[in-house]
Amino acid sequence: MKFRKLLTLTGSVLLFAAVFIIDATMKSLDSDLGNFFYVRGALIILAFILTSFYIEADRRERQPTMIQRIGRVAAWAGLFVSLSIIVSLLRFNEFETRAFRLFPRDYITILFSSVLSIAAGAFAAITVLNIKDMLLYKRKKGTQRNFWILLIFFFLASATTLNLRPLEPSVYTTVFFVLSVAMIIINSFRLSWIAYLSRREKIYAMLYALLAFFAFMAINILLSISDRPFLAKALLYFSYPLHTFVQLTSLFGAVYFGMSFISTLFHLPTAEAFDRKQTELSSLHNLSRLITQVFDLNELAETVTKMTFEVCEASSSWLEVFPNDTGEKSAGRADGIVSYRNISPEDIQTILFGDTNSIRSLVFSSKRVLLIDDVSTDRRTKYISKLKKVGSLLVVPLVSHQNLIGILYATKQMDFGFDQDDIDVLSGFADQVTIAIENATLIKKSLEKERLQRELLLAQEMQKRLLPQTLPTFSTLEMRAVSAPALEVGGDYYDIALLDEHRVGIVIGDVSGKGVGAAFYMAEMKGIFQSLSKIHASPKQFLVKANESLLSSLDKRSFISLIYAVLDVVTGDLVVSRAGHCPMLYATSSSIKYITPTGMGLGLSGGKLFEDSLEEKRIVMKEGDICVFYTDGVTESRSASGEEFGYERLMKVVEEKRLSSAEEIKEEIIQRVWSYTDAQGYDDDLTVFVVKWIGAH
Amino acid sequence: MNEFKISFRESGKIHVMELKGYLDAHTAPNLEEAFQKLVNAKKFNILVNCKDLAYISSAGLGVFMAFIEDIRTSGGDIKMSNMTPKVYNIFDLLGFPMLYEIFSDEHEAVKKFDAKKQSSK
Repeated sequence: MKFRKLLTLTGSVLLFAAVFIIDATMKSLDSDLGNFFYVRGALIILAFILTSFYIEADRRERQPTMIQRIGRVAAWAGLFVSLSIIVSLLRFNEFETRAFRLFPRDYITILFSSVLSIAAGAFAAITVLNIKDMLLYKRKKGTQRNFWILLIFFFLASATTLNLRPLEPSVYTTVFFVLSVAMIIINSFRLSWIAYLSRREKIYAMLYALLAFFAFMAINILLSISDRPFLAKALLYFSYPLHTFVQLTSLFGAVYFGMSFISTLFHLPTAEAFDRKQTELSSLHNLSRLITQVFDLNELAETVTKMTFEVCEASSSWLEVFPNDTGEKSAGRADGIVSYRNISPEDIQTILFGDTNSIRSLVFSSKRVLLIDDVSTDRRTKYISKLKKVGSLLVVPLVSHQNLIGILYATKQMDFGFDQDDIDVLSGFADQVTIAIENATLIKKSLEKERLQRELLLAQEMQKRLLPQTLPTFSTLEMRAVSAPALEVGGDYYDIALLDEHRVGIVIGDVSGKGVGAAFYMAEMKGIFQSLSKIHASPKQFLVKANESLLSSLDKRSFISLIYAVLDVVTGDLVVSRAGHCPMLYATSSSIKYITPTGMGLGLSGGKLFEDSLEEKRIVMKEGDICVFYTDGVTESRSASGEEFGYERLMKVVEEKRLSSAEEIKEEIIQRVWSYTDAQGYDDDLTVFVVKWIGAH
Repeated sequence: MNEFKISFRESGKIHVMELKGYLDAHTAPNLEEAFQKLVNAKKFNILVNCKDLAYISSAGLGVFMAFIEDIRTSGGDIKMSNMTPKVYNIFDLLGFPMLYEIFSDEHEAVKKFDAKKQSSK
């Protein structure tokens, strides 16, 4: 790119130098060029084509804005006109007129006219190329076509003068000149770039356009007046086509920039509204982007007050957000103010709570936008009329699903500071803010939920560890247990303790209710069992002591059902006591039955009433005998039709599997319960503990 | 979702609560609210008719435990009647018959309430 620019520049300079040498030679020979005249013309055209390429490449690199473009054209036009006028004033009567032709009187004239003409040509190229870009801004279908037609007419009008002597008139030239002017007028209505300028830019555009207009008019006058000044003569001498082209271009420039000036002038009154719309649009756009990016409520609030400030040019703004839609509760204190700008917290406090019927409470009940045009005279704001800084006040509620989630406030120092536009903008803005706040709150909630979920998983992990990881093994019996909570954590409990060399305590229980509360009581139960079971030999005694411990810590509505069996692993002697729990299922080779010693749940009642309710039952396990302990999750599991699994089914399962191992029996019970409840799953904790006596070998 | 319904009736000075459907962890708060309402209104003689009660879970049983102490110290009582065998079994397993008076028929329960009042006068 650099190389090409350099090449075009060098090329055009060399060509222009060649033309100058030809002209100087002719002068010294005092002769006519004859047919060589066309060669000179071709050299000039080629030189200007290269110049145009150079200018275009240079412009591409700079990528100017519209304002820079007009400014540049105006600057070049001004410069060129000044130069032309100065030269024209200094030098006159430099040419002799003979047979429609101009002859320079000396070499310095040749130099001056050459330089001035080259400058004129370059300037014309700059003008046309810049106007082209302005025309093609927001182009329509015909825009580009119209421009090319204009350019073709320019060239045709110039071309008709190619074979003419400078002062020779031509019909064709006039025809194409008129056509060119027509195209200039058509093209001059393409001014859509003006609409997209800001107010400030429009003022600059007007200034530049006016300057350009006068400069182009001046060039036109210099080239058209009958008493030809030096510029006109120089151009005619250097190249008649160039003279025509420069004349057309300056006409184009004058008309186009004249139109630009007038059009901008008419656009000026709406410029402010346009600017506002633009700010509003970009603010809303920014906010929409924020919604997806900012999850921090404070950061969001800062942006909201800042934008409120900008969008309606408020003198102060603040945002109040109510946590959990309970705004009324925080009445009297401004603790919902998440962000404020250009106002002191004391003033906010006064405005919001200075009166029982404050504007805040008005918006609370109406949930509508409230505008106070003149704070000092309005009946509703009498109580804040002493605040000199607040002239007018706009209060916009943030409403989501009929809930007031916050209020946005904006003030202006002058009375009647807010117009309908401000209200519309801020209302639209408030809707966006509402969504943004809701989003931020939701994300906060979901993070919180995630955290709780993690805690719960941790609790689940902990609770699993409260259950025995492995059961002790004995040569005389098989033991298998399984427990599955319905929720993350549950209230089911089973445990085993070695009481002495040959006795084990087996306990299975169920804390009333579900979830975390039940899980805590279950943990407490574990502690009680592990400590008391070794001290109190009989199941009944243990239950009485456990009840005493629990009564003080269980809340009124909670209780624990427990079944406790002490088994002698040598003799098979089993003593069982029950505290409100499901009965033990006992299967022998000849019979199967539930063993139900009486007894009420732990934590229901204390003292003698509890103790007297308890019974102990004794069996002696023989080879092949099975004891099944379980929680009500087994018997109370319901099928899709609502029927419970029940005691009968449980009994049948164990009866069928009487000859199987403890492991198989446990698995079978679980599988049967699960398939019974089918797809709806079980909704209660479920625990099964199977003991099978295999006897001494 | 299994439904649970409570309806109230007056039988003389006795406030009868009829339970219907499934009383579990989800529906227990409804029963709690009902008891609270009666206690707030100082209606302490409460008879719970369980004729249409299909199921009661430990959470449901807990509700009775939550109120019984206050009601008894206020001179009232919670009595129950008309349980199906299945529901009675649940109450029985936990030892409720040792804590509450459970009648097979509502009339007997009302009579018992009245008898107690007579004696206390």
